[in-house]
Amino acid sequence: MTTFISRVWGLAAMAAAATATLVSATFAEEPPSLKDAVESGQLPPMEQRLPDVPRVIDMAALGKTNGTYGGRLRMLMADAKDIRMMTIYGYSRLVGFNEKLEIVPDILESFEVEEGRIFTFKVRPGHRWSDGAPFTAEDFRYSWEDVETNEALSRGGASAVMMVDGEAPQFEVIDDLTVRFTWSKPNPQFLPSLAGASPNYIVQPAHYLKQFHEKYATAEDLAERVRQNSSRDWVALHTVKARAYRPENPDLPTLEPWMNTTPPPAERFIFKRNPYFHRVDGEGRQLPYLDEVYLGISSADIIPAKTGTGDSDLQARYLRFDNFTFLKQSSEQHKFDVKLWKDGTGSQVAYLPNLNTNDAVWRDLFRDVRFRRALSLAIHREEINQQFYFGLAQPASNSVLDGSPLYKPQYAQAWSEYDPDKANAMLDEIGLTRGPDGVRRLSDGRRAEIIIEMAGGTEETDVTQLVTEYWGAIGIKVFPRAMQLDNMRRRFLSGETMMSVWSGLNVGLATPDMPPEELAPVSSVQGIWPKWGQHLETNGMAGETIDVPEVAKLAALFQDWRVSSTTAERTTIWDEMLNIFTDQVYTIGTVNGVLQPVVVRNTLKNVPDEGIYAFAPVAFFGVYMPDTFWFDKE
Amino acid sequence: MSSSIPPDGEAISHFVSQTPFDPQGVEKLSPEQEKVYFASQLKLMWWKFRKHRAAVWSGIFLLLIYLSILISEFLAPYSLERRDVRAIYMPPQGIHLFHEGSFVGPFVYGYDFKLNMQTLKREYVPNTNDVQPLRFFCRGDSYRFWGMVESDLHLVCPAEDGYFYLLGTDRLGRDVLSRIIYGTRISLTIGLIGITVSFLLGISIGGMAGYYGGWIDHVVQRIIEVLQSLPSIPLWLALAAIMPVTWSPIVVYFGITIILGLIDWTGLARAVRSKLLSLREEEYVVAAELMGASPPRVIFRHLIPGFMSHLIASATITIPTMILGETALSFLGLGLRPPVTSWGVLLNEAQNINVVALYPWLILPVVPVILVILAFNFLGDGLRDAADPYHSA
Repeated sequence: MTTFISRVWGLAAMAAAATATLVSATFAEEPPSLKDAVESGQLPPMEQRLPDVPRVIDMAALGKTNGTYGGRLRMLMADAKDIRMMTIYGYSRLVGFNEKLEIVPDILESFEVEEGRIFTFKVRPGHRWSDGAPFTAEDFRYSWEDVETNEALSRGGASAVMMVDGEAPQFEVIDDLTVRFTWSKPNPQFLPSLAGASPNYIVQPAHYLKQFHEKYATAEDLAERVRQNSSRDWVALHTVKARAYRPENPDLPTLEPWMNTTPPPAERFIFKRNPYFHRVDGEGRQLPYLDEVYLGISSADIIPAKTGTGDSDLQARYLRFDNFTFLKQSSEQHKFDVKLWKDGTGSQVAYLPNLNTNDAVWRDLFRDVRFRRALSLAIHREEINQQFYFGLAQPASNSVLDGSPLYKPQYAQAWSEYDPDKANAMLDEIGLTRGPDGVRRLSDGRRAEIIIEMAGGTEETDVTQLVTEYWGAIGIKVFPRAMQLDNMRRRFLSGETMMSVWSGLNVGLATPDMPPEELAPVSSVQGIWPKWGQHLETNGMAGETIDVPEVAKLAALFQDWRVSSTTAERTTIWDEMLNIFTDQVYTIGTVNGVLQPVVVRNTLKNVPDEGIYAFAPVAFFGVYMPDTFWFDKE
Repeated sequence: MSSSIPPDGEAISHFVSQTPFDPQGVEKLSPEQEKVYFASQLKLMWWKFRKHRAAVWSGIFLLLIYLSILISEFLAPYSLERRDVRAIYMPPQGIHLFHEGSFVGPFVYGYDFKLNMQTLKREYVPNTNDVQPLRFFCRGDSYRFWGMVESDLHLVCPAEDGYFYLLGTDRLGRDVLSRIIYGTRISLTIGLIGITVSFLLGISIGGMAGYYGGWIDHVVQRIIEVLQSLPSIPLWLALAAIMPVTWSPIVVYFGITIILGLIDWTGLARAVRSKLLSLREEEYVVAAELMGASPPRVIFRHLIPGFMSHLIASATITIPTMILGETALSFLGLGLRPPVTSWGVLLNEAQNINVVALYPWLILPVVPVILVILAFNFLGDGLRDAADPYHSA
């Protein structure tokens, strides 16, 4: 069965269509764009395309309305790589967050978790990939046995979330539609990783990918395909063809609401509806309502201007708070609405001292909690708020937001009041005396000059300009330096960076069941402790061992979380970690809860008026289900 | 050399006549004629230059604006660092003389400020009851004049507890007029320093190539070709990138002027070389050489004055390209950086859709850029005409 290729499955589906007996009354009319294909027999009718039990979206419960089919949604992006946004916005996951941030089955019909370590997944019977091939347990098996644990394809072994204390799960196929992952210890990261905006892919379209796999394709065929695609070898070919997060391969079957039809490089990408998508509205219409999504690639600088002239139907990416006035002004003429969503990051702009910087004097200083607290106290957050955000943001440390169940005022307030006198006193206490020019001197006599590296836009530059003044007032001279993101990552890992500017915690709306990985060293891309992160990431092969007790404690707590089995346990761990993280001021936050302009065409329905705009956990628009958005043609 | 030819086989003796040259020896000139015919080259140039009205006015304008950079602190109503949180994106205030029909003297109306929470715009409405007379020669923000003398005297200040933003304010509530005045200092001097570097290099390298010719000329020509074939923007990028960030903005400023100068000398060197190539064949040069003058003396005493006028004219044409170069570099974010304020830096900050749509006064720094570039071009035009006073167009 698994050796069929997609075309055969299309034929099989058609054969099934021919023998189908009755059209169920619960199904609505076909989307007009598919009608021809269905009538000519290229596509089976809707009830055969849908799983036996589709996921029914109760629009009324979400405050939405049932819509009508059709239309093209235009959006603007700044880079061809941004087509990954469609995977994020589409947000079709095995299990996903709902609007209350609970994990619910989406692609799966159901899932079961026993003791936090045994996960049983049940696929919807009759669920099909976008090319019509059935989606079965084989796709799980292929992904786990032939990709994730294949030595050639995954040289580093299975991804970190799949490993608990170095132990891989035991994988079983229970029947054609049921699979089970079993660990000996709990793995609380597993479900959130499947529900992530950038998900952990444990399912891959086996029927399509086998033609690129050494184990299934004949050597001659494979060699021919490698040659045709001018790949290095079959491993490279498989990796490129299987890339689902950034859907660059138009042939790759998907389970998302829209599938890419344009191979890069291109100036515009057209995503067409997936005729086999598994969600329906209350009246039996197969989602998505919108036939096409059109991504125009432009430059980040002119996206606000183009949006203002009505070139986008739905836009939030590359719009900033200070574009609101301009957008609002042109909204009437160009018939769109500007909604204000809340940004979901822990801090709009945060300063990350690099605790692993090469300069020994600065390293010691950054590791001195008094120094970090002094820097934080010197920032006049309310002024930043008034100056750039109309006083609509919240001055706070870099922590979880008010809307998170983990929020406590003491986290937001930790060392975030404006008290330059106290800051000066703390710096005096450390022994940084001021020179005749007002700049403090380090222990080796150098002037206290911090180079802040940033890869962001004007917002970061502006806030940094104020911060330069605030820190200048306490005798710390600041030099902002703009650079490219990749370059910056390389630099802080090598220890050249002293301090970098980022947005704060991604999981501003954390729930206890989400991994607190941003609060502990886990990865080399963390600007605060890249070398410690690298050490844990590589199991001690590279990087440095943690030699600060509080950070070691955070790392230990994170390990505890990784093997915790109840939500109560996780809440305690989160609390303790947030407490240490904010009290130690590892990152210096400014303001959070900034409003994000969301431009919505007047005729586009079902886009909520209020929402959270964040990568995690809501996947930007993803949790609000763009497949339910529709154009009112009247 | 009019002495008699020596007999065959004898060397020609080296003879220099000591008798002063009498210009009136052949024909006696009237005093009026004398005035014209004996006028120095400089005088002739001045006469010719005076006729070019646009050039004269441009010259006066440039002179004034260059004088202004000596007293920027005094002219600017506010200091460079001054931020006013209450006046973010405040539109320009007009100067009025009469309030409700009666003469008050120069004054501005205050603004009523409202935060429009619908459009999230700061709205300023002139309040015609709030008359804020301007003060002159008054005490305002303190500054260190020329970095030495502590002072707080300004040409014009707002009323006590009032404000005066003739050209509006920017996103941090800084006075655009003051920033333009301070920016003038950097933008105009960067041209001068750059031009000095470029002239020193251009004249000496071009002079050497032109005077000596041969392999020196060849080497110099190839170097110039290589330098000119480098695309300039990427070269600036690379050079600007190697300047360490910890350098103080002033050192960076010098670095940029020198970079501009280092790249700009090639055109001038070519001009100098070709001029020298033709002039060194002239009889007066041969005469000087025969009289035993050394190469530097020949170059600097006899050759350079021969085309000094050309150099002056080309300098006035080059300065605006230097100013534009700085503006372009800073506009791209590669040149000067805040807190150094130049016109290019100001324009760099004005490059987004919000400014164009909502705060158009932030684009005003282009006005001085255009005026100065035009003035330099007119001046250069006039000087070029004047540089060849014997040629009548």
